[in-house]
Amino acid sequence: MTLAVEAIALVKRYRGKGGEVDAVRGIDLAIPTGSVFGFLGPNGAGKSTTVRMLTTLMTITAGSARVAGIDVAADPDAVRRRIGVALQEAGLDPRQTGRELLRLQCRLYGMSSAEAAERTEELLRLVELEDSADRNVKGYSGGMKRRLDLASALVHRPEVLFLDEPTTGLDPASRLTIWEEVRRINEQGTTVFLTTQYLEEADQLCDEVAIIDDGLIVRQGSPAALKDELARRRGDGSVPTLDDVFLDATGRSRARVAGDVQEVQA
Amino acid sequence: MSDTTVLGGRAVRESLRTPDALIPTIFIPLFFLVVNTGQVSKIFQADTTAFLQGQGYAAFQLPTSLLLAASFGSSALFLVEEIEGGYFDKLRAAPISRVSIVFGRLWSEGIKSLALTALMVLVALPFGVRVASGVAGFAVLLVLIALWAVVFSGFMQLIALKSRSAAATQAGGMAFFPLLFITPNFVPRDQLSRLMEIAASFNPVTYLMEAARSLVLDPTFQWAVLGKGFVVVALAMAVMVALTVRAINDYE
Repeated sequence: MTLAVEAIALVKRYRGKGGEVDAVRGIDLAIPTGSVFGFLGPNGAGKSTTVRMLTTLMTITAGSARVAGIDVAADPDAVRRRIGVALQEAGLDPRQTGRELLRLQCRLYGMSSAEAAERTEELLRLVELEDSADRNVKGYSGGMKRRLDLASALVHRPEVLFLDEPTTGLDPASRLTIWEEVRRINEQGTTVFLTTQYLEEADQLCDEVAIIDDGLIVRQGSPAALKDELARRRGDGSVPTLDDVFLDATGRSRARVAGDVQEVQA
Repeated sequence: MSDTTVLGGRAVRESLRTPDALIPTIFIPLFFLVVNTGQVSKIFQADTTAFLQGQGYAAFQLPTSLLLAASFGSSALFLVEEIEGGYFDKLRAAPISRVSIVFGRLWSEGIKSLALTALMVLVALPFGVRVASGVAGFAVLLVLIALWAVVFSGFMQLIALKSRSAAATQAGGMAFFPLLFITPNFVPRDQLSRLMEIAASFNPVTYLMEAARSLVLDPTFQWAVLGKGFVVVALAMAVMVALTVRAINDYE
């Protein structure tokens, strides 16, 4: 089994005014090539910090990580050529049109002008933004921005795609569209590393999930295996959901349910 | 095409799409030109004031306005916006030299400054201002002011990278105002009070202003004066580039 992402004892330590804080406290990951991996955890658990280390946006304090077989610390440039990144809050230039933004992204990945134009049209079709391609991104809806962000992460056909909370703040219909895109991308062979606060999303999309809490991984496995394990421990015949697994793993309690978005509090 | 040029092209497009950001860049320096000239033009008349070398006082004031316009670069504020919006990280995650993200914007500031300086000189022509050093002098003037615009925007971008705050970046820009006025702004340096002359002599902007002024007022190139102006720009550029490379590589 080849691994798309491998982390060993990964640590991120920040120096703050109140001293040092370990945001990630020694996590191990082994994500098979071609899978969809869900990284779950409450706010501030260390999800985004981990993604930022794996995508070369942040230095690693201790431990090691390999992405697409390349050591992140030793050759970050080579890692960047093999990954696609769509971070929280779709990072887009509001003053460019969708078409210009994708073309620019293609050029930054070394494509010629003609190649960039061709790939841009492919991607616009893929995310169904052809009709809005010449509008400034500023006027796009949240769902359109996410789809464009996703397309911009795919310009160079990455081996590993990192999606940091790709559906946060989207309406249910837009969320379903993003799920379909993620499935389609994965079917084409791209490994997807997905962070999310929506457990249903992880249940629907992921082959394997890890739950991080306070900088440590507290559960890891397939959604079905994690639910089975909790059912066995409970032994009361109830059928746990991934929400139950999450709450059990993080020691949190149900606070409120709003629509299909469940929030948890410490 | 290099990453810097590709990103510079994007920044030029961005400037063209935000003409409202260009209004203060043109309006405020022209306002100072008109007001400062109007206040003292009866005292400093062309035929009785030797340092004007036959031109009106507006010609003496023009370099101040050009330098002021060069300090209105918007690239640092756009950079903060990109940092806050996440696009900066998107660019950092691409396989490009990270320095090119910042230098692309500086490249665009240089182009923008060339155009704005030319425009301001053209606007000043009907008011009797002439670039006495001719077409070659005009070209050197454009280059000098554009290089200063790049240096100044570079330092502003440094503040943006360090502070990641629009307010702090804007406040940093205000630092230029004292520097612009602790100069031989209204009269040549040898006619300032002794204290002011000493202060102006320690201010690098003085040498830029004197170089630009020599191009506007002197029919022949004053190589020593021009040399000092370009040395100031070169030194400031070297410091700015070194600090920027460090800041962008340490950025997390």
